[in-house]
Amino acid sequence: MLKRLALAVALLSLVPAVASAHGPSRQKVTETIEINAPADKVWAIIGKFQDMGWHPTFVKTEGKGDNGPGATRKLTLASGGTIDEKLVKYDDAGKSMSYEITEVDVKVVPVTNYASTLSVKGEGDKSTVEWKAAFYRGYVNNDPPPELSDEAGVKAITGVFKTGLEALKKKVEGG
Amino acid sequence: MARARVKLKIWGLALTVPALCLTWAMTWPVAVQASEALVTNQVSDNVSFVDLTAMKATGDVKIGGKPAGIALSPDKTVAYVTAPDGQELVEVDILARSVKRRLKLGGGPLGIAAHPSKGEVYVADWYAHKISIVDVAEFKVVAEIAVGKSPSGLAVTPDGRTLVSADRDSDQVSIIDLVTRTVVASVAVGQRPFGVTISADGARAYTANVASDDVTVIDLAARQVSGTVKVGHRPYAIALSGNRAFVTDQGIGTVTIFDTTTLKTDRTIEACDHPEGIETDAAGATVYVACWGDNVLLKIDAATLGVTGRVSVGDGPRAFGKFLR
Repeated sequence: MLKRLALAVALLSLVPAVASAHGPSRQKVTETIEINAPADKVWAIIGKFQDMGWHPTFVKTEGKGDNGPGATRKLTLASGGTIDEKLVKYDDAGKSMSYEITEVDVKVVPVTNYASTLSVKGEGDKSTVEWKAAFYRGYVNNDPPPELSDEAGVKAITGVFKTGLEALKKKVEGG
Repeated sequence: MARARVKLKIWGLALTVPALCLTWAMTWPVAVQASEALVTNQVSDNVSFVDLTAMKATGDVKIGGKPAGIALSPDKTVAYVTAPDGQELVEVDILARSVKRRLKLGGGPLGIAAHPSKGEVYVADWYAHKISIVDVAEFKVVAEIAVGKSPSGLAVTPDGRTLVSADRDSDQVSIIDLVTRTVVASVAVGQRPFGVTISADGARAYTANVASDDVTVIDLAARQVSGTVKVGHRPYAIALSGNRAFVTDQGIGTVTIFDTTTLKTDRTIEACDHPEGIETDAAGATVYVACWGDNVLLKIDAATLGVTGRVSVGDGPRAFGKFLR
């Protein structure tokens, strides 16, 4: 018990350092996909902050606070590892939500200070989903190792976005 | 005699013309609204020039090294841009629209401010926890001042005597005497101060504290905190107009406006994705905001608080510093 408490304290003390420091320049990833379905139908799936089930990379979503301000979730990756996220803005009418990563190991996702917006815009029977991210690389100082470089961060996030959006399109258009 | 009269006439002319020019040059920027913005675009690696009257981008200059911070020379014909990835200070001739000189600084140059009259710029080094003083005539570092951890925003008082550094990872500002080039005080502020702005009378400094979602108001003479104002998520920088402060809430896409007398929040307006660099024009009538996520420069009426214009710029605009002329 004491050991666990000590570990928790040690982990807590790491949080501010992880959340504050970052590399020199913020990276940007934007991916979009057109879906042959009305925006309402797409939003009914992606607009649930507590259910990331539409994305094959994530096998479990656990969280609290529904879609309300300050809602949180923990995503478990198919490859193991978890990501803790917090909802910062939810606009049901505008079909848009913004959230941030509050805790992740750079070995799981090689980024820091990550913030993201997922939204859908419709035009009749078609819609366009846009997924945008802003983040810094995993290594917070100069001369990063390749696996924690700007390029590695951009590649990882682009991969997650593409995989998710393609799976979403298949799911919506197929069902 | 006749010759002397002519000479006198010539002298009279020679004196009258420059005097007129001087008056015109000194009053013109104050009398009319800012006419141009220079926006650093970190992703597209350039600076966009924006005609603020037409709200139209008129061109760009390639910088390289992921430009972020910007300061202008006292006559506003030269821009000094920091390139954190290239670890350089880049000097841009605004009228010729070209890069004049580049200075390798090393470390992580980010925040920058120019002296209001002397040929000096100050560059904060995010990694080496120091401020470099660059003599712009020689274009080299002439002094270095150690400050707190990860200095970010810099601002100089209008009298040119004091430099304020937001030491982000020390949760403090350093107050630096520019005559002796020494830190004379450090003042604890909110968590992770990033942008810092000094009032027109030089009495106060305001820091945008990224992690505590607030702005700290500092009395510069007393070297003490005189108040804290809650703002939106992850505030980045501050602009002042009259008794209003405009704060870019980078994390939630809004601009929070508060009264600098009462320190009460007036309004929060929807702005854009990742609003960052913000500055009021010389007339105090308009506030301009660089939107990193949306790739636009936004125009806000400082009286009605409405968004009155937007113009596309390069990718990832930051405009961290003073970017209006």
